[in-house]
Amino acid sequence: MANHCYIHIPFCERICSYCDFCKRYPYQEVVDEYLTALKKEIEDLYQQEELETIYIGGGTPSCLRIKDLETLFEILKPLKKKKEIEFTIEGNFESTTKEKLELYKKVGINRLSFGIESFHPKNLSFLERGLDISHIQEVLKEARSLGFDNINLDLMYALPTETIEEVKEDIQKILSLNPDHISTYSLIIEDHTKIKIKGEKPISEELDAEMYELICKELKKNGYIHYEISNFSKEKKESHHNLCYWDNKEYYGFGLGASSYLNHKRIMNTRSLTNYRIGKRVVEVEELDNHSTIEYEVLLNLRKREGIDLNHFKETYHKDFFELFLVEDLIQKKFLLVENNHLMIPEEKWYISNEIIVQILEREKYE
Amino acid sequence: MKQENIRNFCIIAHIDHGKSTLADRILEVTGAIDKREMKDQMLDSMDLERERGITIKLNAVQLSYQKEGEVYQLNLIDTPGHVDFSYEVSRSLAACEGAILVVDASQGIEAQTLANLYLALDNNLTIVPVINKIDLPSADPEKVIKELENIGFSREEIVLTSAKTGVGIEELIHKVIEKIPSPKGKKNSPLKALIFDSLFDSYRGVITSIRVVDGIVKTGDKIKMMETGATYEVVGLSINTPKEEKVDSLSAGEVGYLYASIKSIEDVEVGDTITLEENPAEERLPGYKPMKPTVYCGLYPIDSNKFEDLREALEKLKLNDAALTYEPETSKALGFGFRCGFLGLLHMEIIEERIEREFNIDLIATSPSVVYEVLLTDKTKVMVDSPTKMPRREIISKTLEPYVKASIFTPSEYIGPIMELCQDKRGNFLNMEYLDETRVTIHYDSPLSEIVYDFFDRLKSSTKGYASFDYEINDYKESDLVKMDILLNGEVVDALSVIVHKDFAYSRGRIVCEKLKEIIPRQLFEVPIQAAIGGHVIARETVKALRKDVLAKCYGGDVTRKKKLLEKQKEGKKRMKQIGSVEVPQEAFLSILSTKE
Repeated sequence: MANHCYIHIPFCERICSYCDFCKRYPYQEVVDEYLTALKKEIEDLYQQEELETIYIGGGTPSCLRIKDLETLFEILKPLKKKKEIEFTIEGNFESTTKEKLELYKKVGINRLSFGIESFHPKNLSFLERGLDISHIQEVLKEARSLGFDNINLDLMYALPTETIEEVKEDIQKILSLNPDHISTYSLIIEDHTKIKIKGEKPISEELDAEMYELICKELKKNGYIHYEISNFSKEKKESHHNLCYWDNKEYYGFGLGASSYLNHKRIMNTRSLTNYRIGKRVVEVEELDNHSTIEYEVLLNLRKREGIDLNHFKETYHKDFFELFLVEDLIQKKFLLVENNHLMIPEEKWYISNEIIVQILEREKYE
Repeated sequence: MKQENIRNFCIIAHIDHGKSTLADRILEVTGAIDKREMKDQMLDSMDLERERGITIKLNAVQLSYQKEGEVYQLNLIDTPGHVDFSYEVSRSLAACEGAILVVDASQGIEAQTLANLYLALDNNLTIVPVINKIDLPSADPEKVIKELENIGFSREEIVLTSAKTGVGIEELIHKVIEKIPSPKGKKNSPLKALIFDSLFDSYRGVITSIRVVDGIVKTGDKIKMMETGATYEVVGLSINTPKEEKVDSLSAGEVGYLYASIKSIEDVEVGDTITLEENPAEERLPGYKPMKPTVYCGLYPIDSNKFEDLREALEKLKLNDAALTYEPETSKALGFGFRCGFLGLLHMEIIEERIEREFNIDLIATSPSVVYEVLLTDKTKVMVDSPTKMPRREIISKTLEPYVKASIFTPSEYIGPIMELCQDKRGNFLNMEYLDETRVTIHYDSPLSEIVYDFFDRLKSSTKGYASFDYEINDYKESDLVKMDILLNGEVVDALSVIVHKDFAYSRGRIVCEKLKEIIPRQLFEVPIQAAIGGHVIARETVKALRKDVLAKCYGGDVTRKKKLLEKQKEGKKRMKQIGSVEVPQEAFLSILSTKE
């Protein structure tokens, strides 16, 4: 049973220097072929569940022409939606027009997500992105007036040569746009990206952590809830789609390079457009037994402020968490915290959560 | 086979002078293998040997060659080339009547050329000198001929070869037949066969390599090991051509393998003499003196459950490596392991690698130590082969350390840097000899402990690889030695303690702390690293606490990637040892060796 759905639109008009995700230039015939293949995939796999969230991500979904967007929404029509569905589309400001916003509204989209990433000209040029602040303000104003009351903005930090002052300015600027949700990511220099090829090096661990702490402090001061390692929202504006991953729930992932979690299997789609088009979609399947499902539960849940719901854990796996994982010492040293029957990593330790999670998994008791 | 048509010989050379390639070519020319089957370095059967290009296990191969209507049996016994293995060289020499001395046509005579030559002469072997690699553009045979003349060979007896192209190989084989005497043993005397190597085979038990000196041994014979007294019935005899071929008997002068369902490894001692239970020989062959280990280190399995596996591995390795010694040892930091003795650093590295590869045991090796002599205030003497065995300072009246006579063979332009290096290593200059105008041997009296560290690497780098070096253990000399401890997170890690000269302790302490800081990954908490002598801290570094270790971005629900990364991180930890609350990677235990600034 999957009540969540991700749809990937692998098209971008420009390639950002740091991006290693699946993207293509939106030539008309490629887009046409892609949408046809996407339609087929949904028809083949969708089991008629009522969906709680749909997330159209990319790439840059907003770069599709109006008529392609119309085709896309036509394709998505068979997806059944719960009344209180969260329906998100990603995009950039450049390609978002009033006409597109109206179309979004018409088809029931109620959440928008835009990448801004940075405000500083030096950093924008590093990322190979543009920024037109007056256009941004205009699009946001239009969106608000159409009734979009759940808007996310992405912000990146820890770029090479970036200073703590620049991060401070970025925070002020993003706050001035009054988003409902903010996602922040420290730059990862991934393989096969332009910046990797250029030989860029990450900033120091210390400075990176300092920037993260600053962002957390400033956003909290301005009324945002830090509900998950990289995400902040105003009250009740948490991304339900984002949370479905961390709650270890099953979800569809349609499209090129998309991941899904269905019937205890984690499935990865191909990144090859040719194969995707001819229906050779799956490149990797991880079948989960009880043991690895539990491992996922632990590592995903602990990204959230509320951590692992110990009651839910016991109900789902018929085993007390502390019988499976001997983590008493980690609790004592305050790397873990138990509160209201939840086990969580305290916020000040989130930035070193990998090490803590690995240590928890190492303390698994084998029977 | 007529005894007078048998020739037993080995090849000796400085490392990399083309010994193994020459052996391959001889195999090919005598038709033992054809070109198609030819793997490079046929005699080196272990993967490790082929990779490192050095022969570390003995191998004997029987070849057949026709010359002027007579059929000759040539037994080629391979020997290792590195200084650490001069003991094994002497084993091979004891089974031969002659030796081919290989010298590289561009490098000329080097330290181990001489060391091995002297060993061979001590064993009364007939020498056939060969200048190899004459095909190389840099070859200068004329210069090398002069060098050989300088050490007593005549121009006429020197053979010029290229093992690569095959030039001179036939001539070399002829020289071997003409010059090297046939074995002198008596076929009718009671059996005396020298065990010069052995290895363990899981199906056949211990397989011994033997050289029959007197008498004859047949399948089914009741044999007796003269030293250990063990008796067995011979199950099989074979020769290596280089394919294994069964034979019914081996008689005086011949070389081959013998197996007798020997299950207990202790019964077989390399160097022992095999005789027949009925009609035994009166006395054993002289054999040769086992060499004493000069370098010791602790070997510990990372996974403490593998202690017994490690014991078994050492037992099996010891079988054909009598110089390896081991005894159980306990470390507070590392648990149960073995204190092992080696002939040198290379020997140590090879044993470690063989344990990891052939027996699949991940190891931690503690820093190597030489054997110190410590005189106590109550006049007793203790031999200390591990820093943990160093007595308290208050009861020590005198400490002595082993010195070696180091001979460095070098083009004269590097005399300066070499002398600088030797002074740096606490060496005392003895003398200098010129072989010709451009080549010189420098002799130093140096502490062995300094040699076993990084002397060889530094010698190579300060002479662009031109200098070669050899050493022999000399005697013990008084030294102001102290034990330096390393503390992680405030606790002494016994496995990291080291004995150093007092004058060098501060700089060594600083370098080791810096190195450990590089090697030990950041952890959840700050880790102080300290070097201390008798509780007095002399150097300090800190591994800062982890600040960032998080996977922030989640592209389109790809959480599998996160899990894989975490699993990799978890896997990486298995290669580390938990010491107190600190996770320490394997290589930290060798960081103590590092002397680089």
